[in-house]
Amino acid sequence: MTDRDDLDMLAAEFVLGTLDADERASVTRRLVAEPELNALVEEWEVRLAPLADSIQPVTPDPELFARIERQIDAEQHTPTEQPSPANSTVIALRTRLRRWQWSTGVASAAALLLIAVLVLQPRPESAPQSFVAVFQQNDQQPAFMLSVDLNTRQLSIRPVTAEPLQEKSYQLWIKADPLGPDPRSLGVLNDNFELDRAAALQNFDPELLKQATFGISIEPAGGSPTGLPTSPAIHGFLYPVSGTSGQ
Amino acid sequence: MTEVPSPSVAQRLPDPGSPASAAHIADLLHKVAEKDRAAFAELYKSTAPKLFGTVLRILNQKSWAEDVVQDAYVKIWQKAVQFDAAKASPITWMVTIARNSAIDALRKQPTGQKASQEELDQVAAVEPNAIFQLENEQSLRQLHHCLDELDEARREMVQLAYLKGWSRANLSTYFDQPVNTIKTGLHRALKQLKRCLAP
Repeated sequence: MTDRDDLDMLAAEFVLGTLDADERASVTRRLVAEPELNALVEEWEVRLAPLADSIQPVTPDPELFARIERQIDAEQHTPTEQPSPANSTVIALRTRLRRWQWSTGVASAAALLLIAVLVLQPRPESAPQSFVAVFQQNDQQPAFMLSVDLNTRQLSIRPVTAEPLQEKSYQLWIKADPLGPDPRSLGVLNDNFELDRAAALQNFDPELLKQATFGISIEPAGGSPTGLPTSPAIHGFLYPVSGTSGQ
Repeated sequence: MTEVPSPSVAQRLPDPGSPASAAHIADLLHKVAEKDRAAFAELYKSTAPKLFGTVLRILNQKSWAEDVVQDAYVKIWQKAVQFDAAKASPITWMVTIARNSAIDALRKQPTGQKASQEELDQVAAVEPNAIFQLENEQSLRQLHHCLDELDEARREMVQLAYLKGWSRANLSTYFDQPVNTIKTGLHRALKQLKRCLAP
């Protein structure tokens, strides 16, 4: 049995549903970093999909859709009553995110942002120039949080579920229309999740930073040899953490 | 902000008899990716019975299944931009999200489940339903042909796992075989299916 066969059987059992909780969680994590495994999983999803055809549809409780809408509303908005300009910015950025593809694997491997984490957490009373981006690598947990102080243009990265990699590096990228079509490297993270360039944001205008999207990709140790992301990246965009920021 | 006011669901949903072709659902998903709430309501109406049926089959409990389906539709709302029609049909994509949520929920539950003969009969007696059949009639026929070529126990294993979310351990209990034997059997079945389905 070759490694490729093993990987294919892991993908097959993941899709079939026979793995235990730990194995499932492990595969879910690996899907982000391993395009080959991701592709095998997608093949098995299509291969086995006709099995679901035999399932009889069952109409759920009529209340369910209203519950879904309430949850979406709760996750989409800050708790403020009035839509604020900051919220509009978030919506605009979300739309912008759609147009941005780092590489071909990104649509399936990378996940969207988890705004909910920010909304549901108590927000600092006064931090008008603080922005946070969340990088979510699967449906459950954010992988990283990036916070930026626009006054000092300092950024810090906090891993949430992400762990240091063996012989690979995480690399942080920025993309914004004024910077051209390609993402630009902000540096490589060390094992403490610190950027190798402390002043990575110094040359960027705060307005540009607010509009930018950020990405984290997994690269060969020391960073991408090509100057561009070589793996699917996970994305985040800056989100104001203060209710007064949109004023 | 483009919030749709919230009248009752029934008022703004289309006629339930409207066709749910794959192309139509893909179109709705693209609109949902643009945060179109009306399209989301229509998407829900067209697909919720399928997703709920799928999840209910795995979890066997109505309120639990509703929680998981709720979770699945929130994910669909968030992840619609990732839907890639070149890779999978829209229904496959949505069912995958719902199944993954259901199986994850099931695995986190410590109580194992027992198979009843009734459940097995259910698996055996299933008839393809017509709603989404047109989109993949060919692949459906092909998969059933390939399933028929498996020996009976392995076919059951595959069906119980896919439809009921059974783990290797559940299958081991039911078939009264060691987990490793189940694993080997599953791998043989999956490889045989793959070979049979290969173009």
